[in-house]
Amino acid sequence: MNPLAQPIIYTTMITGTLITTLSSHWFLAWVGLEMNMLAFIPILMKKTNPRSTEAAIKYFLMQSTASMVLMMAIISNNLLSGCWTTTSYINQPPSLMMMTALAMKLGMAPFHFWVPEVTQGTPLTSGLLLLTWQKLAPISIMYQIHPSINIHILLTLSTLSTAMGSWGGLNQTQLRKILGYSSITHMGWMMMTLVYNPMTTIFYLTIYIILTTTMFLTLNLSSSTTTLMLSRTWNKSTHLAPLMAPILMSLGGLPPLTGFLPKWIIIQELTMNNSFLIPSIMTIMTLLNLYFYMRLIYTTSLTLFPTSNNTKMTWQLENTKPMPLIPPLIITSTLLLPISPLLLTFH
Amino acid sequence: MALFHKVLRGTYILRKCSKPTSALHPLLGIRFADYSSSLQKPVASPGKASSQRKTEGGLQGHHQKEAALDITCPEEKPDVSFDKAIRDEAMDHFRRLKDEIVNHWKGPEGRPLQEALLEQAKVVWQFRGKEDLDKWRVTSDKTIGGRSEVFLKMGKNNQSALLYGTLSSEAPQDGESARSGYCAMISRIPRGAFERKLSYDWSQFNTLYLRVRGDGRPWMVNIKEDTDFLQRTNQMYSYFMFTRGGPYWQEVKIPFSKFFFSNRGRIRDVQHELLLDKISSIGFTLADKVDGPFFLEIDFIGVFTDPAHTEEFAYENSPELNPRLFK
Repeated sequence: MNPLAQPIIYTTMITGTLITTLSSHWFLAWVGLEMNMLAFIPILMKKTNPRSTEAAIKYFLMQSTASMVLMMAIISNNLLSGCWTTTSYINQPPSLMMMTALAMKLGMAPFHFWVPEVTQGTPLTSGLLLLTWQKLAPISIMYQIHPSINIHILLTLSTLSTAMGSWGGLNQTQLRKILGYSSITHMGWMMMTLVYNPMTTIFYLTIYIILTTTMFLTLNLSSSTTTLMLSRTWNKSTHLAPLMAPILMSLGGLPPLTGFLPKWIIIQELTMNNSFLIPSIMTIMTLLNLYFYMRLIYTTSLTLFPTSNNTKMTWQLENTKPMPLIPPLIITSTLLLPISPLLLTFH
Repeated sequence: MALFHKVLRGTYILRKCSKPTSALHPLLGIRFADYSSSLQKPVASPGKASSQRKTEGGLQGHHQKEAALDITCPEEKPDVSFDKAIRDEAMDHFRRLKDEIVNHWKGPEGRPLQEALLEQAKVVWQFRGKEDLDKWRVTSDKTIGGRSEVFLKMGKNNQSALLYGTLSSEAPQDGESARSGYCAMISRIPRGAFERKLSYDWSQFNTLYLRVRGDGRPWMVNIKEDTDFLQRTNQMYSYFMFTRGGPYWQEVKIPFSKFFFSNRGRIRDVQHELLLDKISSIGFTLADKVDGPFFLEIDFIGVFTDPAHTEEFAYENSPELNPRLFK
């Protein structure tokens, strides 16, 4: 990318998200979403191949459709209540439209089909931003409108997202698609307690961003985009291969790792609100997620997969790729459970 | 669709119990279940019946002449039921959906993941029966008014496919085409339940392997990626395949890194590698401007991992032609 254009694009993307999260006027929040989307398109097209262009176009079509529905909801709400502020109560029809639009933006089922396709078509760093930074603005709007959201529809969308995300990622060999389906599942978990306790959603989002960032940076370090390439990590970066195991187990929500903490909080929150069936279904569905994470762990960390490259000593060569923040991120994504009382005071 | 097929059958001029041509199947997109019309045979008047008997006697030993539109063949009475056709089609699609769901549970392409990961060679297309030919379609410049002809049939002992025909570079006389002369054989896009497009995942292989026997002509191997956009259907990745001719089989190995990108038949300045995770179809084209007959016999087409081949992409982008790529 042009070095002069790059700071402008990234600044616009960050500014758009900040405008959305900090504004209380609906129109300004919508403008922030649009700025963020338009600035993100060239980031998706970093590599000049038709697949990236197709991914960027699919992303643009989905996000602009969602923005149109959101604008329709905003105008309908203004017609019914005369309010432009995001903190005021929203009538049910506009609330339903807003929820639909934000579900499309977040990639929640049944509007999730674009997430694996777009994630697969973009480079790893762009995929990281897609699955982490791009979630902030829509979730901030969901946080603000949570008193007006229809709980039944939200629970349905969440359960469906967990199911679709788990089922879809089951036999994937492309790592970006696996992380895309993982994102769909985690969105389902996040939105489950939005109505009961919105801070739990923000807490889950924080942990999810840490885990996903760690995973993407680790894959970027080993330049792995398929399961087969990941299985040869023991040959290229011997220290990284065993570290993939706790990261993936944490992403799957296995105790005593960090990833278990937000799921535990959400299950506790739901059971306190006399909901037993839905957390049971979601926990069972998440086992599918854990299954395909464990398959990745098996091929990467637990076994020495046969490699067909000629030099088996590539680990001796110095890795020239920078490793920004990977060690502290790995520690954060695996060892935070013992300090959960401290974390829960903030929550 | 079944109704349309029924109407087509009813409008045949030559009623020699022939079925609709297979050329229509790609157009219509789905296979038709055999069904027969529930039309009743017209009852002839007595006068006509006697004259018919006289003429029938005179026609002994002769071939059956052109029959009227609404008389079915006496040897074959097709069983037609519109409801049955629709039901069979729907059942077939649901069966395929069930298979897809079960295969999704087992692993990639219905096999366990370990088996898929450890695979180093795979035969994707082979020609051992007529059903293998149905996975391909042939085309030539006849579609634009040219004179080339191309056919595909099973080879000797049903062990190969024979693509043969005649190439003619005579341009069609339509006032706008200046060049002509191509013949091609293209694989059909794999379809799942309810005619959803599927794709091949060759990301763990790095070389294309073909066992062919040609006549010395240069062919072009074209690979297309799966896409949802109409504008990308003209984009393909190509490389040459030079056949030796002669009686011996030829094993052609083309690394995927050698394929170059082209759009609408023109090689583009901006080149990038072929991404192997969503392959839609492969094709062979002959357009060497040499008029005359040709043939290409194909045993199988496969992919494999060549451990000695470590090249990622064989071509570079030029900073003079595309300065924006280097900023």
